[in-house]
Amino acid sequence: MALLGRRNVFLLLAAIACVVPAFANPYHLFVANLVLIYALLAIGLNILVGYAGQLAFANAAMFGIGAYTTGLLQVHFSFPFWLAFPCGALVATVIGLALALPALRLSGLYLALSTLAFAQFTQWVFLHWEKITFGAGGFKTPRISFDPLPISKPVGLYYLSLVIVIAFVIFAQNVIASRIGRAFVAVRDSEPAAASLGVDLLRYKALAFGISGFYAGTAGGLYSQMLNFVSPEGYDLFQMVLQKAMIVIGGIGSIAGSLLGAGTVILLLEALREVKGAQEVVFGGLLVLFVIFLRGGIVSVLRRYVAGWDEPLRNPQREAEPDAPPIAATVEKPAQ
Amino acid sequence: MLEVRHLKVSYGLTQVLHDVSFDVPDGKIVAMLGGNGSGKTTLLNTLTGLVKPAGGSVMFENAECAGLSAYDLVRRGIVQVPQGRDVWPSMSVEDNLFLGAVTRHDRAEIRKDQANVLELFPKLMPKLRRAAGSLSGGEQQMVAIGRALMARPRYLLMDEPSAGLAPAIVSDMVDTILALNERGLTILLVEQNIGVAAAVAEHAHVLQNGEIAFSGPAAGLLDDPAVLRSYLGR
Repeated sequence: MALLGRRNVFLLLAAIACVVPAFANPYHLFVANLVLIYALLAIGLNILVGYAGQLAFANAAMFGIGAYTTGLLQVHFSFPFWLAFPCGALVATVIGLALALPALRLSGLYLALSTLAFAQFTQWVFLHWEKITFGAGGFKTPRISFDPLPISKPVGLYYLSLVIVIAFVIFAQNVIASRIGRAFVAVRDSEPAAASLGVDLLRYKALAFGISGFYAGTAGGLYSQMLNFVSPEGYDLFQMVLQKAMIVIGGIGSIAGSLLGAGTVILLLEALREVKGAQEVVFGGLLVLFVIFLRGGIVSVLRRYVAGWDEPLRNPQREAEPDAPPIAATVEKPAQ
Repeated sequence: MLEVRHLKVSYGLTQVLHDVSFDVPDGKIVAMLGGNGSGKTTLLNTLTGLVKPAGGSVMFENAECAGLSAYDLVRRGIVQVPQGRDVWPSMSVEDNLFLGAVTRHDRAEIRKDQANVLELFPKLMPKLRRAAGSLSGGEQQMVAIGRALMARPRYLLMDEPSAGLAPAIVSDMVDTILALNERGLTILLVEQNIGVAAAVAEHAHVLQNGEIAFSGPAAGLLDDPAVLRSYLGR
């Protein structure tokens, strides 16, 4: 295994992440938690856009639906967070699955526009259904308690996010390495060829939208609890641009790239927070630079110069290693 | 036996296929010839569930199949090798082949079938982990056929397999089609290349403006004045 390969690097990062609360101040812990939440969003979006090739713009809305459902169930129905949180993820998943229906008939720009219209409609509901959503002013959510564990809320929430991110990264890697991942890429590369071989387009598009909605809904639940406040502006068009930028900068069609993109964008935005106006300029400039000069994102540079950064469905350029014989060579020749 | 009767297909108000009827008997190679825009690909897409027919019947082994989904038809054993190869370029050859078996769940048998495909196309063996899009046209055609074979078809519907290939590769393709037929596959070959059709098929039909203009034995196809008149316009 390559020393600086993605597995070793991410194991090291996970180990560091485990001890962050021991030396981080509350602000650093907040930023670290934010990176974890955006990692979930970027992975979900990358599965939908990067692997399944569905140019959708509804991820910010899904993020909002997860946050609002989690928060509102706590406020209106006194649900405990531990029940409201999975409900939020579930609602976002179901709405994600429903979004696959227009995706069956639409693609490219038309799909982008229809999902954008859905996102704007969601914003309208957040803003104007005041009786339920509290309108533009938003609402406070009850603080989670980790009793009887002897940890504060920020530390507990950070570890909850970390455990979820690790589980969701493993899940995403397994999905992509399976026949589902291959079917996603087949749908992305050529829908007619995929359909002609029996790839069920509705099933796999729905799966991609559902997984993406589940990741965004989960991230929304964590986000609502991290801020203890939910308001519409957190889930607007800029939020969508932010998430798209993460997968472009990290690497489209890469789980590792999603993690790198989320970390890079959040850390950059936080580093520039003190300099007025610099956030927008640097963020926009970086996005343009990647789109023009580095379309494969950070992960494409790592793939080119560092061994061990290939991922499932992303390693066809490399020749088979001599110690890894092709599958056919290991199979007994069938009788004629 | 695949029996097509009075098949009609329309795209909106435009009728593309008019009352098309023909048979593909078990174990045979049947060619469907025609120029650009004659409706060949639409016919193939209708037979493989990608296009819904406006009327008519498609009987496969005494069961009505018209209007079934591609998924159902693949599971019944009707599989298409699409026009222009249409391999998934960013995926490895191995992943392309495995995806051909997307409707199957018998892992051991899938691996055996992959070994069979590589026996048929040994050139693919050293390139299993290469991106399918980086292969030559002939090799991509092998991947496309191999991918379809991974679905364990009984009827293979091939859409212009010789298109865009060098003459030497076309000759290999002819050998491949004959070898597949010898292994028991029934083949409906949609072609523009009349020479390829004459070399492999026992029976041929000529499609013109969405209608079958000629049907007869494929042998001597090139000498038949009716074919030359309807297909080549001579």
